[in-house]
Amino acid sequence: MREGLLIILFMIALTSLCDTVNQLFLKSAIDSLNFSPKFNFINIFKFIFQLVSKPRLWLSFLFSVISLCIWLLVLSKADLNFAFSADSMHYIFIALASRFILKERFSALRWLGTGLIVTGIVFVSLS
Amino acid sequence: MFKKKVTLKILLLLIASDILETAIHFFFKKGAMAQTELAAVDLPSAVVFLGAVFSSPFLWAGLLSVAVVFIIWSTVLSKIDLSVAVPIASFSYILVPTVSVIFLHEHISVLRWAGILFILTGVILVSLSSKERIAETK
Repeated sequence: MREGLLIILFMIALTSLCDTVNQLFLKSAIDSLNFSPKFNFINIFKFIFQLVSKPRLWLSFLFSVISLCIWLLVLSKADLNFAFSADSMHYIFIALASRFILKERFSALRWLGTGLIVTGIVFVSLS
Repeated sequence: MFKKKVTLKILLLLIASDILETAIHFFFKKGAMAQTELAAVDLPSAVVFLGAVFSSPFLWAGLLSVAVVFIIWSTVLSKIDLSVAVPIASFSYILVPTVSVIFLHEHISVLRWAGILFILTGVILVSLSSKERIAETK
């Protein structure tokens, strides 16, 4: 039982990592466009058209497919509420990636929030 | 403070993505549940399992929702930071467990709800810290 839990947590960590890599590629692709869409359909479609011509977008897509496959395996073994809550460990990866790769600025409050999320994941896993 | 006009639109987009996000997870769970449980965690049985799941209509309903959420996110991420956008779109942390209890008949213990509340509180603190940041840059 405990061993099964560890395998599932490991698989959830893998999907979270793939999600983080996916988000980083996506953010990088979008930033490279330097394009501010006004919210109308023509601009949104123009934006998407520019986006799909970026190789980084397809790398992002590849990682989301890998993430989806692992996620479906997780869902066949675990309750949705557990898997979904534990999947919030992507916050930790995204916080670290935003800070150290994208060099976004962080306040103490944000680190505190991330710490609470970690605590929550531990609680959810223990229950 | 931030530019009000843009923020309201971004907020509405994020709420829409919350609801769709919950739908995605519900559909995926239904798709995965429709199959016999995975026998072992090895590559051949994983491939067989995934082949079966990908023929489920629930999975494709989920993927359609993913596509819509993706379009919303592409728009939102061009306006605000990754570490700002992700936290705001997180009320699904309450929505998904609620849907799990009502429609999937899962049981959630008090300890687990406590954990979920910790996660949500963390998410709200992270959101507040991003508001601070936007006020700073103005």
